[in-house]
Amino acid sequence: MRARYGRIILRFWKNSLIREMSFRGHFIVNVTSEILWMGLLLVFIRVIFSKTSNVRGWNEEQYLFLMGTHMLVTSLFGAFFYNNCWRLAELVRSGDLDFVLLRPASAQILLSFERVDYSSLARIPIGGTLCVYALVSLEQTVTASQIGLFFVLVLSGVVIMYSLLFMFAVSSVWLIRQTSIDHLWFYAVSLARYPAEIYRQFAGGFLYFALVFVVPLLLVANLPANVMVRAFDPYLAAYFVVSCLVLLGVSSLAFRFALRWYRSASS
Amino acid sequence: MRKYWIVFSVALSERLVYRADFFLATFLRFIPIVTTILLWRAIYDGGGRTQVGGLAYSEMVGYYLFVMITRAFGSMPRLATDISTDIRDGGLRKYLLQPINYLGYCITLRAAHKIVYFVMAAAPYALVFWLCRGYLPGWPSGTMLVLTIVSLIFAFMLGFAINSLIGLMGFWFLEVASFVHVFMTAQYFLSGHMFPLSLLPESVAHVVMWLPFAYETYYPTMILAQQLDAAAAVRVIAVQALWVLVLLAAGQWAWMRGLRRYAAFGG
Repeated sequence: MRARYGRIILRFWKNSLIREMSFRGHFIVNVTSEILWMGLLLVFIRVIFSKTSNVRGWNEEQYLFLMGTHMLVTSLFGAFFYNNCWRLAELVRSGDLDFVLLRPASAQILLSFERVDYSSLARIPIGGTLCVYALVSLEQTVTASQIGLFFVLVLSGVVIMYSLLFMFAVSSVWLIRQTSIDHLWFYAVSLARYPAEIYRQFAGGFLYFALVFVVPLLLVANLPANVMVRAFDPYLAAYFVVSCLVLLGVSSLAFRFALRWYRSASS
Repeated sequence: MRKYWIVFSVALSERLVYRADFFLATFLRFIPIVTTILLWRAIYDGGGRTQVGGLAYSEMVGYYLFVMITRAFGSMPRLATDISTDIRDGGLRKYLLQPINYLGYCITLRAAHKIVYFVMAAAPYALVFWLCRGYLPGWPSGTMLVLTIVSLIFAFMLGFAINSLIGLMGFWFLEVASFVHVFMTAQYFLSGHMFPLSLLPESVAHVVMWLPFAYETYYPTMILAQQLDAAAAVRVIAVQALWVLVLLAAGQWAWMRGLRRYAAFGG
């Protein structure tokens, strides 16, 4: 039974690609606005660094690398999981979750992989270019193990975001309206686009602590970027990978627990 | 009697549930202010500056707070998309048959929406501004208060004129909705929502500061933030009025030309 998941997921990705290609205009517009957005972010960074040489210890190139990393993480997450998580909330509301639960496979896997937003992947070459450009301007040599660790941390970041949002979505079994949660998520993720050090002094360090150790969103881009262009903290990295695995387990437990309260909808 | 009481209390609590959600969602909108406060602190500290783009640190934070108010006047969510959809799928017919000016109808509708929004959003805005009172100037004088309000009303009309003009492009192009997305991104930058336009290099600022977008957000915000004196505020309002006239006239013209092409699809 287990081996089939590979085939199911592959089929999901193929179906999504067919869907996406039937809306090619949409795809092109998304890519255009992503490129424009990146251009504007670059202007903003240029403006910032025309006024200062560093932001809490990050120089312009390091900051660019952080921005590129944030793009990589959010684009992978956006492509594979963001829509699926919100769809779960929608399925609970409409009662259509029944159709997923009836299938002879793990409902969490079916729910988490069904749709792929390919246009979100457009940010990968953009973010990648930014990272490479930053590395070249820093004239920095990186070792293979740094690169390996970078990708492990990027993927951990994606999984952390997935586990957290999946749990948010699961909560729709109890809460029906979730506009605020959607907002909260959006803003929490955008906090992570900046050097984590700027949050240190705020509210006596409480915000920093909460966003690193309770809801570890702040590090999703900062930690991999640190590995490549700044000092690397092995304890924090290890904590990050462990918390990624723990959160993944908790999200699965939360899902199963919530299903006991799921009542479907009258139809 | 009892059943009416139940109906009444259910209806009341329903309003209150949504009210709570609205309150929370509006409050959350200010989360990025936390980043603004911290990021700009880091920039002022890093550069060892007391002034950036002619603004002291507290004035910079104040600018971002006041932008929230200006945008509440100028932003027209979905207006362009709604107009272009009406044109594309024939929904326009029902307005053509009525003795009413379509654009006049749209602006009246928007004005009503705004008033309801301001009443609902007053409490969360007041709370945030009270929390951030350390970054804000005191109350303006009577004259400045009047000029500020006039300028904000013009910001509303400019927002309407710009967005309706884009919506009216629907007479000539099918895919206005996707263009709107790209346009919003550009506007975020050009209007001074992303950062005060005074931070731009002089050559760029020279052009950007004359565009209607600057008069929709940047200048009214500067008046609101008491960065401009009465004479400068009057000049801003005069240019705003000019832009409103030009763009509304352009809208009316596009409307007349467009109607000649209009095919009233659908049945």
